[in-house]
Amino acid sequence: MHRGAIVRLVVLGIVLGLGATAVAILIPWLPDSASDQAEEIDFVFWFVTGICIIVFSIVASIAVYSVLKFRAPPDDDSDGLPIHGHTGIEIVWTVGPFVLVTAMAIVSAVALARNEKVPDDAMVVNVVGRQFAWQFMYPPANAPDPGENMLECDQEAVKSRCVTSGQLHLPVDVPIHLRMRADDVLHSFWVPEFRQKQDLLPGQVTTLVITPTKVGQYEVLCTELCGLGHSTMRSAAIVSNRAEFDKWKQEAGKQTSGGGGAGQAVFAQNGCGSCHTLKAANATGTTGPDLDKLPDEARQARKPLEAFVRESIVNPDAYVQPGYPKGVMPKTYAGLPKEQLDALVQYLVRSSKGGGSR
Amino acid sequence: MSHVETEHAAAAHHAPPAPRRTGWRRWAFGPGWPRAIWMTFLFFGIGAGIVFFFRWLGGYDPTWDWEPIIVVGALTAAPIGFLAGLGAFDYWVYYLSGRPTRPEDHSGHGARGWTDYFRVNTDHKVIGVQYVTTTIFFFLAGGLMAMLVRAELARPGMQVSDTQTYNQFFSVHASLMIFLFVIPAFAGLANYVLPLMIGAPDMAFPRLNALSYWLLPIAGIMMLSSFLAPGFGAGWTNYVPLADTQPFGNVFFSMAVQWAGASSIMTALNFLVTIITMRAPGMTFWRMPLLVWANFTTSLLVVLATPFIAGSQFFVMFDRVLHTNFFHVAEGGYPLGYQHIFWFYSHPAVYIMILPGFGIISEVISTFSRKPIFGYRLMALSLVAILILGFSVWAHHMFVSGMANWLRVPMMITTLLIAVPTGIKVFSWLATTWEGRIWVSTPMLWAMGFVTMFVIGGLSGIFLGAVPIDIHVSDTYFIVAHIHYVLLGGSLFTIFAGIYYWFPKMTGRMYNERLGKLHFWVTFVAFNVTFFPMHIIGVQGAPRRYADLGAEYADWNLFISISSFFLGASFIVFVYNMVVSWIRGPLTTANPWRARTLEWQVSSPPPIFNFDEIPQVVGNPYEYGVPGARHAVMNGDRVGDPDRVPAE
Repeated sequence: MHRGAIVRLVVLGIVLGLGATAVAILIPWLPDSASDQAEEIDFVFWFVTGICIIVFSIVASIAVYSVLKFRAPPDDDSDGLPIHGHTGIEIVWTVGPFVLVTAMAIVSAVALARNEKVPDDAMVVNVVGRQFAWQFMYPPANAPDPGENMLECDQEAVKSRCVTSGQLHLPVDVPIHLRMRADDVLHSFWVPEFRQKQDLLPGQVTTLVITPTKVGQYEVLCTELCGLGHSTMRSAAIVSNRAEFDKWKQEAGKQTSGGGGAGQAVFAQNGCGSCHTLKAANATGTTGPDLDKLPDEARQARKPLEAFVRESIVNPDAYVQPGYPKGVMPKTYAGLPKEQLDALVQYLVRSSKGGGSR
Repeated sequence: MSHVETEHAAAAHHAPPAPRRTGWRRWAFGPGWPRAIWMTFLFFGIGAGIVFFFRWLGGYDPTWDWEPIIVVGALTAAPIGFLAGLGAFDYWVYYLSGRPTRPEDHSGHGARGWTDYFRVNTDHKVIGVQYVTTTIFFFLAGGLMAMLVRAELARPGMQVSDTQTYNQFFSVHASLMIFLFVIPAFAGLANYVLPLMIGAPDMAFPRLNALSYWLLPIAGIMMLSSFLAPGFGAGWTNYVPLADTQPFGNVFFSMAVQWAGASSIMTALNFLVTIITMRAPGMTFWRMPLLVWANFTTSLLVVLATPFIAGSQFFVMFDRVLHTNFFHVAEGGYPLGYQHIFWFYSHPAVYIMILPGFGIISEVISTFSRKPIFGYRLMALSLVAILILGFSVWAHHMFVSGMANWLRVPMMITTLLIAVPTGIKVFSWLATTWEGRIWVSTPMLWAMGFVTMFVIGGLSGIFLGAVPIDIHVSDTYFIVAHIHYVLLGGSLFTIFAGIYYWFPKMTGRMYNERLGKLHFWVTFVAFNVTFFPMHIIGVQGAPRRYADLGAEYADWNLFISISSFFLGASFIVFVYNMVVSWIRGPLTTANPWRARTLEWQVSSPPPIFNFDEIPQVVGNPYEYGVPGARHAVMNGDRVGDPDRVPAE
C-alpha cells in the first residue's frame, strides 16, 4: 500500500465523516430536553454517535475506495493478490472495537445508575394504564408503604385521600418517583422530552424517576401495543412551578372527593375522553362512538337511554354501534364503585341531552 | 431442466419398481394431490370428531364448539392429512407396517419436468428450488401488506383500513417475512448448494428434507388465513395479555409458528448431520467454504432456540383454548415470563436470519474479488462467537419491560460485545476486496450493498444496546428503521446476492445482468430513502405500531410512503428478470463465475446425484491467485482450471 493510496483513503474518510457529522448536526434529532434524566441520556446519545461516525467513515471509505480502485477491466481475467490474512491487522480490528464497546458500556452504565437512583425527597405519583387511558394519582404524603406489588392509592385506607387526574401535573425541579401498573394489558409510559420510558404490567409495579426541569406541556404516549386504541392512548404532562402545582392539586382534590355528584370527575379520571367525544367534557376522542349522540344510539338499540348507557359501560358488547368494531371497549369499567358508576351514568345522560356540565 | 442421466442411473443401478396400482385407483389412492385433498378433509373430520366426542363425553356445553374444532381439526389434523395424502409419510408408513419398502426406488427423486416440483421430492436441488420459489411468493405477499401499511400511514387519520385491519397488516407482514421468507429462504439456498459444496450426493435425510419443505406452505397459508378467522393483530411478538384479548385469528399465528418452527428444526438437524457425516474425503472443517460454516452455526442456533418459541406460542394458545393460566395474572400467571421465553428464541432468531447471509457474502466477495477470504479461520471462529454470545443477550429486547433492573447492565455488555465478532467479519470482507480484481456483477453489487447497509444497521444496534439510549428509542420508529437495516438491507440483500449468484447453477441459464443491476440500484436508493428517515422520526418521538401518527409527522410519513412504493415496485423488476431468464435466458456454462468451490465444478444444473464420482478434497476453497493450488480432485480431473471444467 503506497502513500498515495493512504492519502486518498484518508481524504475519502474525512469527506464521508464530515457528511455523517452534518447529518448528525443539521437534522433536529432529539426533542427538547426537559428533565435531568434526559441530560444523562443525551450525553450517552452523542457519545455513541461520535464513535459511530468514526466507525462508519472508516468502513464506508474502504468499501467505496476498494470498489472504485480495484475494479477489474472487463477483459481482465486475472486473480488478485493471494493475501490470506495478517495476524497484526486482525488483532487490531478485534481489540479496537473491544475497547470502543467497553467505553460505551461504561458511559451507559454510569448514566443508567444515575437515572435509576430514587432521591430521598422524591414525590410519589401513581400511574395506572388501561385501554386506552392514563390515570394519575397523587397519594397523601403520609401514605403507608404499600409493599412491592401495590400502589399507594390501591390501598383501601388511602384511596379516598388520593388526588386523581387524567393528566400528569408535575412541579418543576422536583424529583418524581412514578410507581405504575396496568389494569388490563401491557402499556408503556413515555414522554419524549423526559426521555424516560417504562412498561406498565398487570400485577406488578414498575417505577421510573423523572426530574422535570422546564415548565411546559408535553405529550404522554403509550408505546407498547395495547389494542385498537393504542395510538389514541395519549395524555399530557403539565409541568408548572410549585405554587401553580399546589393550587391545581388543591382544586383537583376538591373535585375528586366531590362524591356522587361528580360524574364529570369520574369521566375525566377514567380517561373516557381519549376514545369518546363529549362536548360537555371537552372530549374529542374518535375511537369509540360519539357520546353526544347517545339518545340517537339508544333509540337504534331500542333501549331506554339510562339503561342503555349503563349497559354499554358494564357490558359493552351487548350492543355495538354500527361502524365500530366489537370488543374494543374494555370490560374493566364494570368494576367501578357503584356510586361512581351511578354518577357517570347520570352525567352522560344529562350531558348527551344537552343538559350541560352540572 | 431434464436429467437424462437419471433414467440411465435408475435402470442401471436400482431394483425394478414394485407393481403399482393402476387407473383411477392409482389416481385416487396413490400419493399426489387428489389423495392430499380428500385426506385433508378426512383428517379434519377425524379431528373434529375427536373434539366432539370428548366434549360429549365430558358433558361440555356447547358440544359442538367451533374454536377447539378449528384448532384440532383444521390447524392440526388437516395438515397432517394433507402431508400424508401428498405422500410425505409413505416410506415410513410402509416401513412401520411391515410392507416392503423400496429403498432403491428413486422415482420420487429429481425433476424431469415442472410437475415434479409440485410433489414430495427427495432431491435436495428440487427442494432448494421449491423453497426459494415458495418463499419469494410469501415475500411478495408480506411486501404487499407493507405497502398497505404505508398507504394507511401516508396521511393522518384512517383511510385505507380500520385499526384492527391495520394491526393485522403489520403483524402478518412481520410474521410472513420472518417465518416464511428470511429463515426458509436461507434454508432453501443452503439446501441447494450445501451438499454440493461439501461433495455429498444429497442431504443425510432426503425424506425428512422433503417433509420440512412441505410444512412451509401449510404454515404460510395458515398465517395468511388468520385474516379470515378474523384477526391476528398483536404484532409478530404476540405479547400477552394482549394476545389473549385478540380475536380467534391469534390461534392461527400460534399454530403457523409451530409448523414453520418444526420445518426449521428438521432442516437444521438435517444440515448438521449432513455437514458432520457427509463431507467428501479430505473436506476437513477447516477446508469447508464459509457458507457451510455459517449454516453449521445457524443450524445449532435453530435446534437449540426454536423449541422456545414453540413453547411460548403453545402456552398462549393453551391459555385461550384449554383455559390454562400460564400468563393470566389474576390466576397467578406471569406475563413477563412470556417475553423471556419468546426472546430466548427470537433473539437468536436474528442470527438465524443473518449468519447464513454472512456465508453467502463470503462466497460472493471472495469470488468476485478474485482473492482468498481474508482471515478465513477468524471468519469461521467469529461465527461460533456470535452463536455463543447470541444466547446471552435476549433481554436487551426487554430493557423497559419491567424485568429485574440488575439484568440490564450484564445484557448490555454481552450485546455490545457482539459488535466485536461482527466487526471482524465486516473488516475481513473489506480486506478481501483490497488489492482484488473486483468484478462488479449483480451478486457483487448486492454484497457490497449489504456490507454498507449492515454497518449502518449494526451501528444503530449499538445505540439500542446502550441501555440509556434504548430507554428513549425503544418501541419507536428508530426500532423499525434498525430492524429494516439489518433484515432488509442485511438479510434480504444477502438473499438477493445468493439468488443471483447461484441462479445460473440452479437453472442452467443466465439472468439479465442489466435488469439485475437496475433492480439493485432502485432497491438500494428506495430502501435508504424509505428507512433512513424513520431513524429521525423515531428519535424525535414517533412510537411504532400506531395506526395514526397524527399531523406531527405527516410530512415525513408521506415522504416515507412514496419512497416505499418505489421500493415495492423494484421487486417487479426482480420477478420479471427471474421468470423470463428461467424460461428463455441464454444457456450458461458449468462455472460462469470461475469460482473455486465444488458446486461450480459440476454441470449447471448439476447431475441428479451431484457427482459422477465423489471428489477428493485436497486444499482450501478460496485459493484465488495461488499458483497451482487446487480445492479438489474431481474424476481424476484438475479442478480450479477454468478452461478444463468437466463436460456436461
